[in-house]
Amino acid sequence: MSMYDVLQTLPYITLIIHIVLVAVAVWRVWRGENVIDRLIAVDLSSTLFLAVTVIIAIISGDSIYIDIALVLAALGFISTVALSKYITTEKMF
Amino acid sequence: MTIVLEIAAMLAILIGTAFSIIGLIGYVRLPDVYTRLHATGKVGVYGVVLLLVAAVLQTPLAWGKALILIILLMVSGPVAAHAIASAAANIGLPMDNPVVDELHLEEINPEINSESHNMAYNKDMD
Repeated sequence: MSMYDVLQTLPYITLIIHIVLVAVAVWRVWRGENVIDRLIAVDLSSTLFLAVTVIIAIISGDSIYIDIALVLAALGFISTVALSKYITTEKMF
Repeated sequence: MTIVLEIAAMLAILIGTAFSIIGLIGYVRLPDVYTRLHATGKVGVYGVVLLLVAAVLQTPLAWGKALILIILLMVSGPVAAHAIASAAANIGLPMDNPVVDELHLEEINPEINSESHNMAYNKDMD
């Protein structure tokens, strides 16, 4: 197995590892201890799905997936801040 | 020159994946909300940013978009973590075995600390 094979197969192994990590985070959204724990799991699964999108961009060499990751980062940040505000004050606006 | 860039990209992918795995292990294993938040902050800042560095090094992507995404992640990650920690302190979630409790979290919401609120899931984890 040459150096080139290692460089080619490493993004696929990383993709499988990150999909397993997303599955664990979504499991903690379903079976969390309290509401803040589930909110952390939502934020974490959003971030890990962003990582999956970046790895797909590495594999395919197509920069359109970076755009998808940019939109996901912005929406995940806004939804996390809005949900933590909603949990604190128990009203949205 | 390209082999140097590819080895640097491989190292960035490995270190970023290691940060993500360590962050998720810390999220599952640590005892309370505040320490879990400390563990998950590393996934957003170090894990994804190192993967983006690898993407810029390895493939001819548009590096401007990756730079904007890196700046956005490094700004928004600590702000989101601070918002979640502020919400947890405001509804009075307790710390596990605190040394100093200056916010008096135990007295804000007594019902959230009772045994009936903690699910049976807690016993499975221990």
